[in-house]
Amino acid sequence: MALFLPCLYAFLACLGFCVLFRIRGLGAVLCSLGGALAWLVYLVSGPLSGGSVFLQSFYAAVFLSAWSEAMARLRKCPATGYQLIAFIPLVPGAGIYSMMEAALRGDAQDFLSTGLHTLGVAGALAVGVLVVSSLVRMFSHRRRPG
Amino acid sequence: MNYDKLLALSGELGCHLLLSGAEIYRVEESVRYLLGAYGVETGEVFAIPNCIIVSLTAPEGRVLTWVRRVPGHDTDISKMEDLNALCRRLCANPPELDEAAGLLDRVVRDRPQPGLLLRLSAYFLITSVFCLFFGGTAADALCGGLCGLTVGLLLPLLSRLGANLFFRAMVGGLSCGVTAAVLTALGLGEHLDLILTGAIMTQAPGLVVTNCMRDLMAGDVMSSLVKLSEGLLTGAGIALGTGVALGLARTLWGGL
Repeated sequence: MALFLPCLYAFLACLGFCVLFRIRGLGAVLCSLGGALAWLVYLVSGPLSGGSVFLQSFYAAVFLSAWSEAMARLRKCPATGYQLIAFIPLVPGAGIYSMMEAALRGDAQDFLSTGLHTLGVAGALAVGVLVVSSLVRMFSHRRRPG
Repeated sequence: MNYDKLLALSGELGCHLLLSGAEIYRVEESVRYLLGAYGVETGEVFAIPNCIIVSLTAPEGRVLTWVRRVPGHDTDISKMEDLNALCRRLCANPPELDEAAGLLDRVVRDRPQPGLLLRLSAYFLITSVFCLFFGGTAADALCGGLCGLTVGLLLPLLSRLGANLFFRAMVGGLSCGVTAAVLTALGLGEHLDLILTGAIMTQAPGLVVTNCMRDLMAGDVMSSLVKLSEGLLTGAGIALGTGVALGLARTLWGGL
């Protein structure tokens, strides 16, 4: 239950964003499923990575990119759409908010620590995405754009 | 071949790809492939999130350039997928330029928008679920959902009025803050901070910052800087809005 509920929330949140970003039908379900599974990876990898949020984010990003690349091949459309939305539970949106809030409070220490944490998570996610997409690019010969 | 028309076609395609929220590399690659498909090897394209420049040299030595500024926009994945499919089709089998322009026009025009009710329920779903996600109770989720509804009602209005990014973020944060403070003061919400964190998630620039890091690592430094400042501005706007709302609530009700 401790694992199931957060993943369900992640699924529902992704579904909501699918409406806002205009993904319809099967694509929306697959994409939200990716978001939920990525959050599961994030939670499960916690004990494995010694509680390091950066490592957890990295693993989740690697999983999610592999998932979206596979789905993109399956449904013959760009992987971006899947990645963009399924990433939302992982990305540090609240972190930037609390960072700027600390700045407005004038708490330089808090601003720096939340800011570095936020950028670190964003960086870990980006490295995860880049690793997979570079590997995919290397191993699939690209005939056409997209 | 009419090179002016080719330039306009590829420029329009790139511009609409940017407008649909495609990544920079996809925009540049698509335009380059399209120019290549029509036999132009001397084409150059440069794109950042709010501007695209396409240039080519026609065989008689004439240099043609097309510049478009891209205004603020939201993400439309289905439009991006359609444009991508169109680009593949044009590259695989390049038709006459007028016909290609007609095809592009048809993809771009008359895109069905989700209805107001659907959009509002999406806002409600996202914000309430994120309140639960961050550890709030069911009552918090209801409050967060109501905050999301106010944002969902206000944002399209502001976009229609032509408000800029920072102002929209600020008004969104303000409406979240006011709604959350009122609901908490009425005794409906239990954890004000959790409600607020969930409520701002429809606007929070997490994706922007992650994309910025990705662009930075992929070598698109310019667009990464544009996105970083966009993310920081949005974050500051939301924090300013909620800060004003909470400050007001504190003076009106005392210790929240």
